[in-house]
Amino acid sequence: MRLTKVFVLAAALAISCGPIFSQTTATSAAADTSTKPLSTRVVAYQIEAKLDPTKHTIAASETLTYKNLTGQPQQTFPFHLYLNAFQPQSTFMTEVRLAGTRGNGPDSEWDPKHFGSITVDKLEVEGAGDLTNKMEFIHPDDKNSEDRTVFQVTLPKPIAPGASVEFRVVFHDVLPKVVERTGYAHDFDMVGQWFPKVGVWWKNAWNCHQFHATTEFFADFGTFDVKITVPQNEIVGAGGDLVSSTNNSDGTTTLTYHSEDVHDFSWTASPSFTVVEDSWTGSQGPVKIHLLMSPGHMASAPRYMKALKGSLYFFDQWYGPYPYDRITVVDPPHGGIDAGGMEYPTLITAGTSVHMPQGLLEPEFVTEHEFGHQYWYGMVATNEFEEAWLDEGINSYTEVKVMDAIYGHETSFLNFPFAHLGETEEQRFSYLGLPDMDPVARLAWKFISSDSYGDITYGKSATMLITLEKVIGEDTMRQALHTYFMRYRFTHPTSEDFLKTIEEVSGKDLRWYFNQAVYGTQVLDYSLADAHSDPLKWWDPPAHGSKTSEKVELYRTYVTVERKGDFTFPVDLQIKFDDGSTALEHWDGLDRWIRYQYDRKAKIESAQIDAHNQITMDRNPFNNSFVAMPDPRAAHKLRNIWVFASEWLSQLLAWLT
Amino acid sequence: MAAAKRGTFFSGAALVWQWQRLVWWIFAVCLIFGLFSTHEMTERASSLLDHSAAAQRLVNGFDASAIIMLQQLPDSPLEIQGHNIVHFSLLFVVFMLFVTGGILASYALDEKPTTTAFFEAAGHHFWRFFRLLIYLAIVLLPIAGLAALTSAMYTRVQEQSISPYPADHFAEAAAVVILLLLIIVRLWFDMAQVIAVVEDEKKMHRALRRAFGLLRRNFFSLFWLYLRVSIIAWALFAFGLYFWMFRLSPQSNVTAFLLSQLMILIWLGTRLWQRASESLWYRNYQANQVSAPAWTPPPAPMYMPAAAEPQP
Repeated sequence: MRLTKVFVLAAALAISCGPIFSQTTATSAAADTSTKPLSTRVVAYQIEAKLDPTKHTIAASETLTYKNLTGQPQQTFPFHLYLNAFQPQSTFMTEVRLAGTRGNGPDSEWDPKHFGSITVDKLEVEGAGDLTNKMEFIHPDDKNSEDRTVFQVTLPKPIAPGASVEFRVVFHDVLPKVVERTGYAHDFDMVGQWFPKVGVWWKNAWNCHQFHATTEFFADFGTFDVKITVPQNEIVGAGGDLVSSTNNSDGTTTLTYHSEDVHDFSWTASPSFTVVEDSWTGSQGPVKIHLLMSPGHMASAPRYMKALKGSLYFFDQWYGPYPYDRITVVDPPHGGIDAGGMEYPTLITAGTSVHMPQGLLEPEFVTEHEFGHQYWYGMVATNEFEEAWLDEGINSYTEVKVMDAIYGHETSFLNFPFAHLGETEEQRFSYLGLPDMDPVARLAWKFISSDSYGDITYGKSATMLITLEKVIGEDTMRQALHTYFMRYRFTHPTSEDFLKTIEEVSGKDLRWYFNQAVYGTQVLDYSLADAHSDPLKWWDPPAHGSKTSEKVELYRTYVTVERKGDFTFPVDLQIKFDDGSTALEHWDGLDRWIRYQYDRKAKIESAQIDAHNQITMDRNPFNNSFVAMPDPRAAHKLRNIWVFASEWLSQLLAWLT
Repeated sequence: MAAAKRGTFFSGAALVWQWQRLVWWIFAVCLIFGLFSTHEMTERASSLLDHSAAAQRLVNGFDASAIIMLQQLPDSPLEIQGHNIVHFSLLFVVFMLFVTGGILASYALDEKPTTTAFFEAAGHHFWRFFRLLIYLAIVLLPIAGLAALTSAMYTRVQEQSISPYPADHFAEAAAVVILLLLIIVRLWFDMAQVIAVVEDEKKMHRALRRAFGLLRRNFFSLFWLYLRVSIIAWALFAFGLYFWMFRLSPQSNVTAFLLSQLMILIWLGTRLWQRASESLWYRNYQANQVSAPAWTPPPAPMYMPAAAEPQP
């Protein structure tokens, strides 16, 4: 590889980002970096691939050594062929037409440029010979016989428990024009989900789902040794350590990568990348950082770097050590943004644009989010097909925490002088977009629409975890996530594993909450239905010439709280009276409403449910309070803006006359 | 003539100032329509926000989250907003179509408009200008086609280069060209309206043809006239927006309202400035046509009457 355009900005970036998030004290966890594997290595992939950057095709061969740790003989093995999703008759495209997917709405038209494929030219099994003819496409999730994203092969004889089997596969890929995380744009190739990948034996069965419009991935841990051959002008980034680089006589370079204790391998190539290198030192030693920046985007490099270093720092501090010695951030070029915002082990794709405003923290939160997946997906390798909230939801929650810590609670999403927005609210809005159609715990391809999938899996999951944090305490929540991470890293935990860990760490029975927030579709909305004070002797007219307040000394105050949604949640009520006295109430929130009554020598000044704004799942915070003295300024401000908008539109249309 | 000494650009502004009653009146109608269009929203927002502690988030700053939160409520006060605004804006378009005849009569004839004369002129030209609006729609079609074409070309330029700059520059250039074309079209149709009013031209296609000829012969002076006013309008609007967003205290509701209305007033005033300038320009043009020595045909040659043929 010839790095013709390497700009090492380490010094400048270290000045801007380094001191904030650097951590030099290695903890005892560093001992984990010894030769002992971090994961149970089920698979060992050796792949040789050659990229044709003009045709955007890859010719490759793969040797997969699968170790049978299932505890029983295995004769039939399923494999993913994800790239075949990008064909008009696939299940993926059928679902996109029906309900949309990221970047594409329902009724999307088929664009032939988005055609992608992976073809197995030959499949041999050691000791069994050529089994290409034994390959059989299967459709475990639907009856779409045209879908070719999963095949299985049955061996002549079973593989005994503890034994290994070696598959040798010759295949070739046709990359689509960038769609769903993968493909090419101009001279940029993002190569993800590109090789035949064996399914996972999980819960006593093979788990190998078809590629759906809303699903991501699931695989076993192991090692990857990948040789990538590209023209010498290509700059390559990959999810592995570069072991060697050899220039070939035909003008190509072969790069050899090694990666272990990961469950996937992806890479990218483009002659137009500008490489920015830096490093960060965490509790497990130094981590090399590679940013691969596309043309016109260099202004975002320091922003990526600050977000990445901040994420490394806070994940290391709060949830557990980052055990890998590298992380690569790929910045897709314009026209290739659909390749952005994706996670692979030790390689993530971010996203920016040439005119990205400083106040819109999109490069930052995308970088943070995708880095967070190194933990929630990369190491805690949950089943993204079946329990997507365990990676996207938990990751969205930690995104809120980390972004708030770096950029401020109120300004971690938008930070303009005239408008601001925090990550907590952003996740709430996502949730409230479609709050009650699907539960959090649902198979990813079973959501009513891609919008519902996104709103629930990301937004609701994060919001319900933020509310949960208020219930059990921020420190306890952090401790619970730390415990969950340390206990389940390099394994495939389930929803119950996560929920039980929280209950265990908090010492609380939280089923009442999980049953509604995770397994239910109830919406939470408590409202202050009524609050007013009446003279106790209301029938007694005021004396002539005196004000009512001078005569009447005792008032009866009523405060009525209503549960408008089906989600039950205990709420606190704070009432203030105009003599400065207060009353505090705690309601279990189970009934539809409750009324409190006070007889005092004071009138009500204000009443507020959830005064400290802890119940972020509450759909409508505007009805949570009552202030006796009306303040019309908010409504006036809205009116000002909309009157102006109305007049402005009138003027524009009047241009026609 | 004072106008001629000052130049059409400044004289146009002076004319708008002179008949400022028109500007205030149209502005008042626009504001009333604006208030009507937002009345329901304001009522619902008041009932939701006036007694809510959460509303302070809006009072103390433009909290985007509060706005989005309002938008997402099942009975959001903002959900009715869009329709009402569009309806009242269309009503304002009809109103402007009606009063344009009166406005131009005031500017073009340089007489203090009486209410009766104003509305007579407005009513007299309403259907003519309605026909012009249809012609305008036809003329705008090719520009819409050009916009669609540049959009398609933008995609092609985008695909051809991995650098985002060529496509960006192309889009910016295309936007400027389309904007200038729109100014030219408006200039042309404004001239046709002036001709229709001054000459009492009934045939709008004839007014358009004459306006086109005038525009062709005096393109740069007329275009520069319009462009200068447009630039002033855009600059003042941008400044107002900047001041509102970045400089004004979020609590300053009254100041914000006054500023926003000033921006609308300026926008309206500059549009009338364009019309007044063009009317003045046409008056000057007519005056020049009249004061120039009239062409008189040369006297017919005198011939001796043919000699009478000898009679037998």
